[in-house]
Amino acid sequence: MKRDVRVAILTMEGTNNEEEAYQSFRHSDSSPEIVHLKKFENRTRRLDSYDVLFFPGGFSAGDYVRAGAVMAARIRAKIKRDLENFVEDGRPVMGSCNGFQVLVELGLIPDTGKSYAVEAALAPNASNRFEARTVYLNVRRGNCLFLDGFSDGEIIKLPIAHSEGRFVPRDSDVLRRIVKEGLNVLTYVSGSGKEEGYPWNPNGSEHNIAGICNRRGNVLGVMPHPERIFSRFTETDWTRERRGYDIGNRFFESAVRFIREKY
Amino acid sequence: MADKDHSVVVEISGKGPEELLRISREMQLGLSVEEMRRAASFFEMEHRDPTDVEMQAIAQAWSEHCSYKSSKLHLKKYIFGIARSKALAEGDAGLVSLDDDLAVAFKIESHNHPSAIEPYGGAATGVGGILRDILSMGAQPVAVTDSLYFGTKKIKGFPSPKFIENGVISGIRDYGNRVGIPTVSGGICYSEFFSPNVLVNVGCVGIVKKNEIRSSAVSEPGIKLIIAGGKTGRDGIHGVNMASAVMESGNENITTVQLGSPIVKEPLIHAVLEANRKGLVYALKDLGGGGLSSVVGEMLNAGGMGGKVYLDRVPLKEVNMLPWEIWVSESQERMLLAVRNSEVNKVLEIMEEWDIPAAVIGESEPGGRLRIYFGNRKVLDLPTEFMTTPELYDRRSSIKEKKVVQWLPKYPADFGKVLLSLLSDPNVRTKEFAVRQYDHTVRGSTVIGPFSGIVGREGPTDSSVLKADWDKEVGVAITSGSNPFYSAIDPYLGGRAAVDETVRNLISVGAEPLGFSDCLNAGNPEKPEIMGEFIEMLRGLHDSASILDIPFVSGNVSFYNEAGKRRIPTFPTILGVGRVKDIRNSVTPDFKEPGSSIYLIGVPTTDLGGSLYFRRLKLPGGRIPYSDPRILKRRGWNLLKSIDSGLVNSVHDISDGGIAVALSEMTLGSNVGASLDISSLGLRTDFALFSEPQSCWLVDVKPGLDGKFSDVMGEDSIFLGKTGGSEIIITRGEENVLKASNASIIRRWKRGYT
Repeated sequence: MKRDVRVAILTMEGTNNEEEAYQSFRHSDSSPEIVHLKKFENRTRRLDSYDVLFFPGGFSAGDYVRAGAVMAARIRAKIKRDLENFVEDGRPVMGSCNGFQVLVELGLIPDTGKSYAVEAALAPNASNRFEARTVYLNVRRGNCLFLDGFSDGEIIKLPIAHSEGRFVPRDSDVLRRIVKEGLNVLTYVSGSGKEEGYPWNPNGSEHNIAGICNRRGNVLGVMPHPERIFSRFTETDWTRERRGYDIGNRFFESAVRFIREKY
Repeated sequence: MADKDHSVVVEISGKGPEELLRISREMQLGLSVEEMRRAASFFEMEHRDPTDVEMQAIAQAWSEHCSYKSSKLHLKKYIFGIARSKALAEGDAGLVSLDDDLAVAFKIESHNHPSAIEPYGGAATGVGGILRDILSMGAQPVAVTDSLYFGTKKIKGFPSPKFIENGVISGIRDYGNRVGIPTVSGGICYSEFFSPNVLVNVGCVGIVKKNEIRSSAVSEPGIKLIIAGGKTGRDGIHGVNMASAVMESGNENITTVQLGSPIVKEPLIHAVLEANRKGLVYALKDLGGGGLSSVVGEMLNAGGMGGKVYLDRVPLKEVNMLPWEIWVSESQERMLLAVRNSEVNKVLEIMEEWDIPAAVIGESEPGGRLRIYFGNRKVLDLPTEFMTTPELYDRRSSIKEKKVVQWLPKYPADFGKVLLSLLSDPNVRTKEFAVRQYDHTVRGSTVIGPFSGIVGREGPTDSSVLKADWDKEVGVAITSGSNPFYSAIDPYLGGRAAVDETVRNLISVGAEPLGFSDCLNAGNPEKPEIMGEFIEMLRGLHDSASILDIPFVSGNVSFYNEAGKRRIPTFPTILGVGRVKDIRNSVTPDFKEPGSSIYLIGVPTTDLGGSLYFRRLKLPGGRIPYSDPRILKRRGWNLLKSIDSGLVNSVHDISDGGIAVALSEMTLGSNVGASLDISSLGLRTDFALFSEPQSCWLVDVKPGLDGKFSDVMGEDSIFLGKTGGSEIIITRGEENVLKASNASIIRRWKRGYT
């Protein structure tokens, strides 16, 4: 019998991408559960009973302070140790959009200094407005377990929808280490695969960074929304291209496969 | 029975008309002398004077906004009877059947007055309000639409058009994005008509399993009433009364506009749907205009019940609120759930799980009388029927005979130049600066969004399509139709044209039209000419929809869109929904490949009144294009058959700017040009290219399937040319008419957006 892979999709007030995340994991042959942060805080659920942790997008706590800041503060206050154990155990953790912002606020990525210090921020878009569009991304998989289903240099397409997505490292050392260690696994490119400016890079991110993985390869944060493309009929240009696969699922299938193989 | 500290007695018995009007004004009731008299004679029969809570309750319920007192007689006559059997249910929103187990709940309504006073908050709470209407049916909201009408001229005493526009767009963005429902459709229209009366018509579409549809009527005694969601505050008091009067100075009372909080709304949606899914909810209604007063009254009255409510049990934002303020507050994010006693604790537990304040505030009782208590003192004691039912008005109407001028403009010297100028007109060119600020992919069910085509150079679509169920291929198509320019010239034909556009847009993506919701915008109904236009518009909607056999299942009326001498045209925004049997067969406007054949479905017209071409030439009046619903039905449903059978690559309807603009828009998302010969169309070349005939489409047919396509479409299809190349070339036999490169087309269409 196939091993059941349990996925916790973590929410709080204002998280609003949990439904598509749930559907994505369901389509990727795993057993997702939408879990309110409260349940980890009051111990009615335990993090270590799950195999994969996903931070969906949205506007946790309204993002009225700074994107992801309130959710990260709540996590740090109550379940910091559990989460660090989960990560150090090597289990897959992924966040998209607001989830990426939370992971950065928690210091889980890029974590070039190994101490979970906050080394970067996702600042307001350079255009100074919310941007909803489709972007092209260049994949450099490194050892990122979520990117196992892709090849290096592959160009993929995903939707973005955010107003705070400009990746800004704390200092040039952090940026240097990110590049040196190849943690910038997803970068914005143009339709022809070149690194170009706006709107191909929709938010003005440093080095066109769209996604960052930790060195161990088990924590991935991305600004785009792979969880919204669990069906290829939700791509913006699907009426022009009839391909046979659903691009978003490759992220999640990789994680599920990883668990089945390793645990 | 009233307490001097909390609730006062209003002495109205035996008062003369001037006194009554003064009381109405001082209490901001917005009631006329006749209405005050009606109230007074009721209380004379009761041998007492009313409390302030009672007068406020009556004023809410009898406001134009809540009661439709000026429009109801006409709506009954022209709208409510159409295709009744196709409407599954009606309440806060309407429902049509999508398949055996799913129904679509949808509604469009105005948030015009609040948006004119406070653009950001007004538009945001407009989105919040329409979401609750869908939720009230037990449906999961899946899409938001917004049709916006902005002025172009600064009017003294009112905010600038740019300020209003930025505020409205930001309000929709911040609320819609935060609540996590995609904003997929709508439109932006610019005209001097809307200075200073901005119109914000917001729509929402939801999906519900047929066995989970909730009613909003309580027809048994002992049913508990639970208020859930945001706490009640002083915001939004007298909102409905404000929306039932003309604006005077631009200094309207800003406290009449509610404050929204999407971060409360988002879990509220989850919690209410969870309680409903578990079968714990008896009836459901949202708190919007008129607050508790309207909702409790209507819920009980609909089931012939009375009841009691304890106002001091309502969770409050601020202390020291007076009973009447609690009773009529329009604070946002609140729902009223009617629940059987045995399920009350389960419902409260669900609310607790989602951290949502909730409280039992009363229950239904037999007898049809509503009693309200505040600290054990009775502050209201009224029959629900009297409270919720105002006198309906058959207001005077008159129709102004207008002479129709048929213009014959100077023959253009350069058609390419005309085309490019039409493409960069504010009403045609890209609205990406606004639409790309709305999340249109959240929830992962958007199959066709506001744009389609090659990434980075997408063009506009005619309708959006959303997956209706995670495990099925059935989809729901959503669009809106309106043309204030046509309606300003001829409200009757304008109404018909709005129906035509809505149906056209749905057909364009391969959707069978199922139902309409109408948001009717007008000026002061107490003026006979406006009432006359209103009735003409309804006649137009009626004549088209009844022949098409498509029901209007929900809607709203917004009167009093006037300020000083300025008023808007009387016109509808129609929200239309359709069924896409299999989303994988839906189509978009962008050309798909070179070498395929382009057909026109329909023929151009000589009626160019209200057209973009005439507007650019500043030619007022004229005859507006005529929509014949029989022709629409024949062409439309045949085209649907062609799409279903996989004969076509791309479809785009003809609207603003005619064939020339439609053709250009098909090159936007594809970068595939076209060569057309229009000699078969007859007419003057500018009329052929720029007229806006109704019930017309441009279709690009898959290579090799021309014969089959022509068999289905019959005489309604005219072959015009082929796709291909990097420009559009239009000829008339040997004569070169127009040439424009794909690059110049997209550049002009994107003008102003960087």
